[in-house]
Amino acid sequence: MKITKITTVVLLLLVVVIPWFNIDTGNDYSIPKVSQEDTSFYEVYPCKISLTEFILSNPESIYQNHFYFRPDNRSSIKCFGRVSGVTVLQKGLETQFFISIGTSSLINLLLQGLIWMVLFTLIPKNKELETSKETLRYKNLIIFLISYLLTFSIYAESRFYEKNMYLLDFQEMKSYLLIYLIFILLVKNFVEIFVSRSENLVNYSPYIYLITGLFSGFNLSFLAIVFLYYGLHSYLTGVKNQMFNYAYLIISVWWLFNSRGSAFFNVGKLRGFTSSIFEFNANLYWILFTYLLIKGIWRIYSLNKKSFNLSTFTKNLSITSTLLLIIGTLSANFPIFNFFSYYFLGLQRYGVESKAPFAFSQDVYELKISWRGIFPSSETIGEFYGLCILFLLFHIINSSKISPLNYIGIFASSLGLYFSDNRTSIVLIFLSTLIYVSIKSGMSLKLVKLKYVGLVALTLSAILIFAIQSSSFLDSYKFMSDAIISKAYIFKKEYAISSFTSLISGLESSSASSTVFGFISVVGYLLNRSEMWGIFVARYNPTYSELLFGSGPLNFGQLYGEVPVNSPDSFLLPHSSILSYLVFIGLIPLVILLIVFLKDLYTNRDNLEFLIFSIFIFTNIFKNDSMNYLSPFVLYATFYLLVKNKKDLISSKKSFIEQ
Amino acid sequence: MDEIVNICGLQPEGFVKIDISSDPNYVFKNDLNYAARQLFDGEGNTVFVNSYMECQHYVLGGWNYTPLKNSEILLQENLLYVVIALMVVTFFKNTAKRLFFK
Repeated sequence: MKITKITTVVLLLLVVVIPWFNIDTGNDYSIPKVSQEDTSFYEVYPCKISLTEFILSNPESIYQNHFYFRPDNRSSIKCFGRVSGVTVLQKGLETQFFISIGTSSLINLLLQGLIWMVLFTLIPKNKELETSKETLRYKNLIIFLISYLLTFSIYAESRFYEKNMYLLDFQEMKSYLLIYLIFILLVKNFVEIFVSRSENLVNYSPYIYLITGLFSGFNLSFLAIVFLYYGLHSYLTGVKNQMFNYAYLIISVWWLFNSRGSAFFNVGKLRGFTSSIFEFNANLYWILFTYLLIKGIWRIYSLNKKSFNLSTFTKNLSITSTLLLIIGTLSANFPIFNFFSYYFLGLQRYGVESKAPFAFSQDVYELKISWRGIFPSSETIGEFYGLCILFLLFHIINSSKISPLNYIGIFASSLGLYFSDNRTSIVLIFLSTLIYVSIKSGMSLKLVKLKYVGLVALTLSAILIFAIQSSSFLDSYKFMSDAIISKAYIFKKEYAISSFTSLISGLESSSASSTVFGFISVVGYLLNRSEMWGIFVARYNPTYSELLFGSGPLNFGQLYGEVPVNSPDSFLLPHSSILSYLVFIGLIPLVILLIVFLKDLYTNRDNLEFLIFSIFIFTNIFKNDSMNYLSPFVLYATFYLLVKNKKDLISSKKSFIEQ
Repeated sequence: MDEIVNICGLQPEGFVKIDISSDPNYVFKNDLNYAARQLFDGEGNTVFVNSYMECQHYVLGGWNYTPLKNSEILLQENLLYVVIALMVVTFFKNTAKRLFFK
């Protein structure tokens, strides 16, 4: 067992290190240092110097923060691991050096895929191999179908890939054949690995925050293959959830019928979990992807819920939060580490460059500057740290055997949460812990009186939010209820007004919908979301049917492509997963989901852990874009299923089977 | 059209395209103002052209490869063979595992 692990680690190290030694042995170059005055050597000799040679000639590039190593996916295969160009930029007093490293997209598929597969083998295998037999039905068919689906995504989003592939003709079948075969090889080997470890998939799910598994140059996540596999397996073996299947089929027909025109979307930090274009083929791919993802998560949970192990899960939460913090700090301090973490962990965005996670703004407000580490969003990683703290705290409260790792996890998560400056999570943790401890100790409250507790908690939260934003006291309700629409008017262009702006501004003040929207606006104001939601209103331009049924899952093309707004320079998401999903699936499915959620809350009203975690997750996704990232989507869904279906998941000594 | 510009340069002013294919005995005239260019076909053969018209004619006829493009296509083909070889290895490894280790 130990020998296998050592072999795995050695193999991993070799795979990680070797590509950056791609030296041009045919020539002997005298490599100069890069300087502000002269980068001519790198202009004359692109793709001749390996990354290792560059670092040896410029050792300061390892630690000096004005060096930026960037993958050049649109480079030749021969150029892999070599410096394909150097650009000098002057930003204020700082001279920045951008060093492009050749990372051919085709090689990325194989290299990154291999690394992640090797990492996956570190997950312990199933105790009984027989249990995995059921999941092997239709295995080969599923492998071919997934490979086909992934290749189809390249075809569907060829406009995105044209910018990321070097000399690959997207009009030729030959190009797709190569990609298809690479996918078959990857999927086949990966399936063999994860099927034999299926029991531990839920226990090791927190690592999805650490290893996002995005192929450099692709809008694809390697880890999504796991969910696609189980999703397809669930479909082919006829696992019954007819209601969902029929509803999804009907709405999909509408989405496809509605996929007219073409609107490109710069995926940015949402890469791997959003469509790069609003078109028929791309919409078809993301409809299938989302369907299989949901079914896959459900299938993995239902097949492996009995294998859920609380101590392993908490251990992995602790390790993940600690590693996120350590790697984030290293990435911020060492440019070369920033590049490697981006590449080897398959990140959506380069790690943060700020070396000062404790920093406050220099203006009159002196606000804490959020620090996100290697995760693309500081708020979302704050939620993760918050979830870790809650889970670990509850575990510590209930367990007599606490590993030191749990304390390290609590410390790392607390620090990470403070760095991320997610104040909502901080407030929710405080309230949740207070309620949990009170009820568990039986000192003051009984679980049956939870509705009163909820009411008090809600009132306290409202007061606290009011207190944080003390100026709010002076503002009238009317002002707050008009906050979003007035912001929308600020951001809209004179010549282009979105249908949603017209709809809201046309509401009669006495109508019920106006009251509802006014209340949402007040909540948005209190959560400091008026501006973001105002921009959303100014942009969102649905037809009546699109408002009711959306325009397709994970597709922002229409929202960002139709109506121009006077938006700030940077790219801004809606800052509410509810608003994102309003664009994707529309009002009716969203309301149905909300009803299902409320019904779940009511049915499980005596399940304290479920109530706390689901309210924590819901509050965060209400005011944040979390559900636009694959990692939170998977973890929250798994978490929700876990705590919903097992009362006292953390405090109970009984396993799933016993319950 | 972009490809012709990339390889042959911008079209000279007053350039008139002649249908050369209808005249198999056509002899290209050298243009003293045109810097000679070396063109390649998919098999690595090479030819020098001395006028924009000659260059355009050859590029449209398939002499549109560059050494870089040729080398990349070759590498992509090699990659294809490597992938196929790995697939075969995977297949045999799994078959052997199924037959001998169960």
